[in-house]
Amino acid sequence: MIPLALLKDLSMAAELKFLVVDDFSTMRRIVRNLLKEIGYADADEAEDGVAALNKLRNNSFDFVVSDINMPNMNGFQLLQEIKKDDKLKHIPVLMVTAEARKEDIVMAAQQGAAGYIVKPFTKATLEEKVNLILTKLGLRQ
Amino acid sequence: MSAPDSGNALAPELSNDVHQRIGQLTRQLHDALSGLGLAEKVKSWAGELPDAKDRLSYIARLTGEAAEKVLNNVDQAKQQHEHIASETRRIGALIVKDPVGAVARGHVLNFIDDVEKTSQQIDANLTNIMMAQDFHDLTGQVIAKVVNLAAGIESQLIELLLITAPPDPLVIATDTTSAAVPAKPLPVPQGPVVKPEGNPDVVKSQSEVDDLLASLGF
Repeated sequence: MIPLALLKDLSMAAELKFLVVDDFSTMRRIVRNLLKEIGYADADEAEDGVAALNKLRNNSFDFVVSDINMPNMNGFQLLQEIKKDDKLKHIPVLMVTAEARKEDIVMAAQQGAAGYIVKPFTKATLEEKVNLILTKLGLRQ
Repeated sequence: MSAPDSGNALAPELSNDVHQRIGQLTRQLHDALSGLGLAEKVKSWAGELPDAKDRLSYIARLTGEAAEKVLNNVDQAKQQHEHIASETRRIGALIVKDPVGAVARGHVLNFIDDVEKTSQQIDANLTNIMMAQDFHDLTGQVIAKVVNLAAGIESQLIELLLITAPPDPLVIATDTTSAAVPAKPLPVPQGPVVKPEGNPDVVKSQSEVDDLLASLGF
């Protein structure tokens, strides 16, 4: 039987609003569907860093899942903008990217990314990383 | 019947002239390449073309794997779906024959349990099919790089053509204008690593990412 406290936390986590940022609509759709499957149905999307920043500044989001290689503003630049904005810097940013160079991973971590997933990835990996980040932030048990 | 030889064979004077022209053009091309630093660019194309070949092979491999994955999962889902359909027919017949017995002997409850488990398996197949579409993103990034390479070579060849063409005021004017606006490529991430084997600077799996981040204290 699931403890009541956990149920409360899970329902709280399910209400979190996600922003999925990727220049490929297929990948945005995949990530949104996966988030829904793992219990996070409330997700919006943006096609690059500029659009994402615009949405983040005009709406309330709890979690960002972002690609790196995007036109206009890439994922590193978006991460930088989020972390230097007092109103946004608390939002965890999970990088989901094909960038597999070690220097990119280190840079993302140093810039404040909450997690890093390399493509291609599995549903289990996304679930594990999202839940780990939320647990660390106290938004999930 | 013998072919007419007039027009096929060049007169000795014309042949010499052609050779001289080719020689001049070769020298002109060499000087233009060296003088404008294009020789180095040509060398870099030679390095980039095998890379483009690797990238195209990567696209072929990824799309092939995705198609295979989709077909395998569709096969499994169809079998599972067929199983549900045949079980539904069997239980339907049992209920029609002996409704009380079908329930009392547990046939109906077993069927419900079976449908639930099989549905979960079908759902997993559908998720796998969805995940297989990630090739679109990965190959799209690689295709963009190959297109950029082709566009780069094309623009360099056009530049070369303008330089080596016979003097023409219009061409010279165009060349001067284009030289005044140097191309400044924006720094962009590298995209998928198409040949990770033997490259110590890239990770090959999610567990390597996790290990790297853990070593940094994240």
